[in-house]
Formats: sequence, structure tokens, C-alpha cells
Amino acid sequence: MLNNILYKTERSHFFYIWMSFLAALGLLGAYGLASSFFLSLEVLEFHVDIPWAMMISTYVFLVVSSTGLCIVTSLGHVFGRRDYGLIGRRGVFLAIITIVFGMTTITLHLGHPERSFFFYLTPNVTSAIWGMSFFYTFYILFIMIEYWFLARAELARTANTSTGWKQAIYGLMTLGLRDESREAVEKDHKFARRAGIAALFAGLSAHSTLGAIFGHSESMPYWYGAYYPIYFLLSATFSGFAWMIAALVITYRLERKEMSPELKRLVLEMGRVFVILLVVGMLFTLYKIISGFFHPAKAKTVMLFLDGRLSLPFYILETAIGTVIPILLVLYSLSREWMTGLMIASIMALVGLFFMRYDFVVGGQIYPLFNNKPVPPVFPSLMEVFVIAGIFGGLFLVYTLAVKFLPLDEESH
Amino acid sequence: MADSGVTRRQFLGGLAAASAAVTIGDVDAADAAVTRYAKLVDTTKCIGCKRCMSACKRWNKLKLDRSEELTDRETTLSGHTWVVVNLKRDIRNNEDLTYIHWACQHCDRPACAGVCPASAIEKYPEGPVVVNEKKCVGCRYCYQACPYKIPRFDFEKRATRKCTMCYDRIPKIKPACVAACPVQALDFGRRTDMLIKAKLKVEAINGYLLGEHEAGGTDMLTVLKTRPEDLGLTVAPKKIVNQPSDKVRISFSGFAGAAVLAGALYLYARSGGDR
Repeated sequence: MLNNILYKTERSHFFYIWMSFLAALGLLGAYGLASSFFLSLEVLEFHVDIPWAMMISTYVFLVVSSTGLCIVTSLGHVFGRRDYGLIGRRGVFLAIITIVFGMTTITLHLGHPERSFFFYLTPNVTSAIWGMSFFYTFYILFIMIEYWFLARAELARTANTSTGWKQAIYGLMTLGLRDESREAVEKDHKFARRAGIAALFAGLSAHSTLGAIFGHSESMPYWYGAYYPIYFLLSATFSGFAWMIAALVITYRLERKEMSPELKRLVLEMGRVFVILLVVGMLFTLYKIISGFFHPAKAKTVMLFLDGRLSLPFYILETAIGTVIPILLVLYSLSREWMTGLMIASIMALVGLFFMRYDFVVGGQIYPLFNNKPVPPVFPSLMEVFVIAGIFGGLFLVYTLAVKFLPLDEESH
Repeated sequence: MADSGVTRRQFLGGLAAASAAVTIGDVDAADAAVTRYAKLVDTTKCIGCKRCMSACKRWNKLKLDRSEELTDRETTLSGHTWVVVNLKRDIRNNEDLTYIHWACQHCDRPACAGVCPASAIEKYPEGPVVVNEKKCVGCRYCYQACPYKIPRFDFEKRATRKCTMCYDRIPKIKPACVAACPVQALDFGRRTDMLIKAKLKVEAINGYLLGEHEAGGTDMLTVLKTRPEDLGLTVAPKKIVNQPSDKVRISFSGFAGAAVLAGALYLYARSGGDR
């Protein structure tokens, strides 16, 4: 492990360039944030009548990703599929950072986030936002516990084999439990499984409630109904697979490490499930478009996608880049066992999903409000883009550092 | 009917008794009808002087908006403009112009209060739907839930604000806007009385009463010469918006979906992968 860390901390040019890039994104984010604090929160909204835009859609994207990663890793630790057990640590860690940065995004958009304690002092159980916050609180707690149990033995090993400050820091992370024995590791896995079950339960509940935030909104015809609570779960699952494939292939490439045959087999297996889910997702979208087209209240919004303000992002970003090309690319990559292809397809699907969230959040707010007014351009504001750039910068920075300093390696059972 | 031993007369009698029991038994609803107040807007009388707007600002200490001028330019609601008066054209008759006094409709079962995660919005027994600004986290979910898109975010206070029906004046003193109206286009009183007045006016002009059934009934009643959609106003469904039972239905579909997904994961995990 020590050698491993030393090997990983070897500084290369690419590492410096990558870190500078992330720092630049962070600076942009800080600038956007400072504007929202010192000028007005208004800078994070491109139109006063459309208060939920990129901050909300990015939040949705990130928490969807987190739930998805929790679902994918649960296949190993909760449902006991041995091959998925390999990716537990990396997956759960990614689930933690995506939810933490997702929560940061929504917090920055709230007028008074410090008043969130009223959610618990004077709860409103009929509010989907309340339900989501309630379930996500437990979800965050449980995935953190799950990761700790998955990583404790490795952290203890590092603490036991190092000296000085390093020993102190890693020792602190183990909370003083430095037993590396086989029995202790088995016990850890047992607790990790329990935490994993609780996290999956809380995550799925939180996630369908997130869909219900939109689904409950009767006065927003495009969002209203049972479709989104269900579709969110599906899209979470395929985004989980996409994140996992992309993270594994990119990290192994950049670290110049060879994947074990087991891991390679798993990535291909994930690719197979991923493509099936993408196809199912496409059918869901098709259903949404066709049923919406013939629905008197939803038709206008659907026309925004088919032939209106949102048609370009819908055809190019959501359909081509986010769905059709990834499906073809995954099928091609699977036939050739081409990892790079799988990685590109996953990233494309995630990019598509990111914009799909934006179109869904913004598109859903246009009607009935703009029934008698011209529909405004739907570009996000510059400061919104800056803050979101900062959020992603922070997310990738934490992951990069974690790859170097935390045990994310694929475990062997 | 004869076979079951119940005659048609007995059956109908039973039905009437049951409905009476339900009506009499619903004491809460009866109480609410007596204690509730409403604001009545007669758009046929409004001259568009916008004194109601300035009175609202004075009483509630709201700052002036940039777009707010004594012209017929469209003014929009905001965190510090809780009532607007806009000139609307009847799309069926272009010559017909009407000033519309527009503010929170104070729904009987407000969708905004139902979705506020911090329970910062409350429907008072007297009728006003009030946002507790000290509890508001500023998530804007109330805005999304409101069928009329009334609750607006105040970017300075970083909280959602809207018309409070001057809950700090009523019922002893009329709301500031009503008190300021020079032509008695605005009226305030018990909802039952206001409803009777409004219906008589609507009947006289063969117009439309906004607020009797919209969103399940609201405590702001507006007498219009024509249907709200003809004037370009937002139309709310004639039923309670965001009913709890409807929320349960939608949430349940999500939980059912989650259960199906968990089942699918279980089956997939069992299907292979060298367990």
C-alpha cells in the first residue's frame, strides 16, 4: 500500500495540468459564488419567472448519479454478486462525493440554507422536498458508514506501516480501530453490507421522492404525474453504470495500471447492462414524448422539445450524444472488447443526461406561465455556469486526491 | 329493489339522511365558512389608478420596483410587489379593455402550504395564506406548486414573499388595498357575504366569477366581464390543487418502482457473476 501510494503520488506533468485546470474551474466557481453573495442571488437565475434552472438540474444530475452508484455497488455488497464486489470502494466513494457536491449545489441556490433545521423542527410530511431531505440525510449517513467499513482495514494497514503525521492522520481515519486481521475484515464486510442495505433503502426512497417533487406539481403539467418518480430510478441506474465504467477506465489509464482480467470482465458485463438500460431509457423517453404530444396540457412543452426553444439540445445533446451514439458505441465496443469505446460512450451518456436534466427542469416551467407571452431564450446565466464549473472542478479534485490518498482500489474477495 | 326488502322511497330517504349527517357532522367546514373573510374585486369598477398597489407598499414597507410606473405597462409580481393592476385586452373583443387587480388568491387548500418543506406557509382560519419569512429557506417550491405562480422570491431578503391579505389588520381594519380604493372596486368582508355580492354582480353583467371554484375555492373573488382565459390570465383547475391523496398516489408509484428495481437487482445478482 505504501509503495502504491508513493507510486501514485509521483508527480507528472499531466497531474499538474489537470490540477491547474481544476483549480481554474474552482476559481470560476468562487467568482460566481461571490457574485451571488455580494450582488444578488439573482445572478444564478437566467429568468425571474424560471427560478429552477442549472443549479437545480445539476443537483438532480449529481444526486441521480449518487443513487445510481449506490445501486451499482449494492449488486456486490448487498445482493452478493461477487464480481461487483470488486468495485465497492470506488463506487461508494463516488456516491459520497456526488451526493455531497449535489447537496452543495442546492445549498448554494437556497435563500437561507441555515434555516433547513426547520425541516426537522416543523416538518411538513406532505412536502416531497421534506421527504427527500429526510431520506437523503439517512442516505448520506449510511453510505459514509458503508465506505468506512469497506476502507477501514486498508486505512489501518497504512496507519500501521507508516510513521509521523501520516500515521496520525490515517490512524484518525480508522477511529482507532487498527485491527487488520481476517476476522476483523470479515466483520467489516458484514457491517458494510448492513450499511449498504440501509443506504440502498434510503437512497431509493429519497430518489423516488426526488422524482415526486416534480411529479407532485400539478400546476406544472409536464412534470405532473407518476412518470418521473419511476423514470428517475431508471436513469439513476444507467447513470450509475456510466459513472462506474468511466471512472474505472479513466483512472486505470491515467495511473498507467493494467486492469485485472476479473475487472475487465466486470467492465464488459457492466457495459452489457448499461446498453440494455440505455435502450429502456430511450423507450421511456419515447413514451414521454408520444404520450405528451397527445396530452392537451403537455403538448405545448413537448413541442418545445420537438420544434421549439429546446429542440437543438433535445435532438443533439439528449438524443444523439446522450442516447443513440452511446448505444451504438457500447454495442461496437462490446463486440471488440474495446474499453476506450465503453468509456467514451459512458461519458457521452452522462453529458447527455446532464443536459437532459436541464431541459427537463427548465422546459417543465415554461408552460402554463408563458402561454400568453413569448418563450424566453433558455440559456443559463454566466454565473450559473461558473458556479457549476466550480462544483465539477471540486468534485474531480476530491476524486483525484482520493485516488492518491484513500483506498479506492478494486478489492479481491 | 323489492327483492332486497328496501323500497325506492326508503332508499332515497336513507341517502338524504346520510348526506344530511355528513353535512351536519362537518362542523369544521361550517365553522370555517363563518369565520372566513374574502376580498372581492369588481373589475368592472376598477379605473386602474393603482392606489391599491401603493397602499400595499406603504403598509407592508415594500420597496418600489423599477418597472413600476403610473403607466399601463404590464407590471409583474415580485418579492416586493404583492399586488399588481394590469390592463388586459379581451381576446374575443379587442376593443374591450379591463384593469385586473391581481394578487395571491388565498386558496382554501393552498398548494404552496402543502409543499413547503419547513411549514413556513400557513392558511389562517380567517382566510389569509401567509408566508413566515423567518422560516422560509428559499427553495421556491411554493412558486412551482402555486397554480397562479404568485409567491415570488425577494432577492434581498432571500425569502419568498407575497400578499398576506393584511392579516395584521383584518378583520378589524380592511386590507390596505381595499381601504385605499377610491371607487369601491375592492371590498372586504365575510366570504359568504362577499360570495353573494359577487354572484349578484356577475349575474347582472353576465360575467364570470373567478375564485368560487378555482383551486377548490379561494378567498379572493374577482368579478370579470369575461372568462379569465380570454383576458390572458392564468387558469387554475376547478378543484383543489396538489391534494394529499394525489401526492400519495404519485409517491407510491415511485416506491413501487423502487421495489421493482430492487427485485430486478436481486434477480440480476442471482443470475450469475460467480456468486
